[in-house]
Amino acid sequence: MCEGKELLVTYLYDEADEAGRRAFETHLAGCAECRSDLDALRSTRVRMRAWSPPESDLGFQIVRTGVTVARRPWVAPAWGLAAAAVLVLAAAAALAHIEVRYGSEGLVVRTGWNRGGSPAMPAAPDAAAAAASPVDFTQELAAVDRRLRDLEATASRTAPATQLAGTRGMSDAEVVRTVRNILSQSETRQQRELVLRINALAREVDRQRRVDLAMMQQGLQAASGENALRDNRMFNALRLVAQQQPSK
Amino acid sequence: MTSTDEELVARSRGGDLDSFNQLVLRWERPIYALAYRVIGREEDARDVAQETFLRAYRALSGFKGQAKFSSWLYRITLNLCRDWIRRERRAPVMQAPEGVDIIELAGEATPSESIEDLVTRRQLGRAVGRVMSLLPDEQRTAIIMKEYHGLTFQEIADLLDCPLSTVKTRLYQGLSVLRKQLQDAGVESIFEPRDIARKNTHV
Repeated sequence: MCEGKELLVTYLYDEADEAGRRAFETHLAGCAECRSDLDALRSTRVRMRAWSPPESDLGFQIVRTGVTVARRPWVAPAWGLAAAAVLVLAAAAALAHIEVRYGSEGLVVRTGWNRGGSPAMPAAPDAAAAAASPVDFTQELAAVDRRLRDLEATASRTAPATQLAGTRGMSDAEVVRTVRNILSQSETRQQRELVLRINALAREVDRQRRVDLAMMQQGLQAASGENALRDNRMFNALRLVAQQQPSK
Repeated sequence: MTSTDEELVARSRGGDLDSFNQLVLRWERPIYALAYRVIGREEDARDVAQETFLRAYRALSGFKGQAKFSSWLYRITLNLCRDWIRRERRAPVMQAPEGVDIIELAGEATPSESIEDLVTRRQLGRAVGRVMSLLPDEQRTAIIMKEYHGLTFQEIADLLDCPLSTVKTRLYQGLSVLRKQLQDAGVESIFEPRDIARKNTHV
């Protein structure tokens, strides 16, 4: 492109300095082609203004993960409550898992009975020793179980042969049966408590859910009103992964 | 008092998210408009605009104020647009609805503008968009930055990493093609530039 066109463009966009502008105007006075060119390009520029992007719902917003956003009041509480409900459920599941697992293995019941101190315990020295160390929980329970099985086996072979210290004339077999009964009752009691606890948690979750729904309803009603446009911005919120705060 | 971009950038760099969101609010329309005019698709332009702000936020620590904040945003946007064009393996397109919704138009019209004027403006806008999409990328970008974002020749040269004279050449050539194409399309004889100039001040 010749230098003349560069000058023309500079003049067209009003970026020439004072001297350049005067020089080009002097040139224009004697050059019909440049005058025509300049007029045509000016018209083109004016027409170009008719080109507008379509209206688009923007409203971008950077939101840190976990930050409550106040512009749509129902969003944060709903999410918060939903998260709380999930936590409650998780807690209930974890509790049930632990209780049921231990229950099916008879561990919880036996431990409680063992720690409570039983007349049968002095006859099981290894189990008593294990009970003194709460950290070694599994071994302790396994020892109790093993001891019970031993007693049961012995009782079936030699009827009322062995007497346990402190028992009131009961055979090994009777002691074992008594212990089994106590274990069974304790297990039943534990399971009943577990069911009650889970029911309470379920009621709490349900209550939270109803609160959530009510709040969401209120939020939707508000959004349909004069705040709708403003609230729309939230739909476009940009969520960043945590710790994206720019370093200084 | 309204804070300048530089003040908001400084506060954003200090961890003030609200300040950055003020910048987003201030620049989202121009950035979306730039993306739309370069790639020609509304939805994709929105995505590009959104990604521009995400990237800007993540890279804020690296922005030392060596350029204007807006120029920095423009650069990010143009890079994303270039990626889009490369990824899509196609030239920009101009989506334009065929029919004209009179009710929609009535809502758009300014008090002094008749529906007929508005239809005229929209038709002209579509014609310009179509012709722009036919221009080579570098000419189109130079024209967009000059005409719709008001950058100086030097700012465009810095943004596009090219000499000043190249910017002027691209502008002249692009405008000349536009002029001819609009003429061929019959636009020159139908529309009166004065009407458009008076009624449309959109970025």
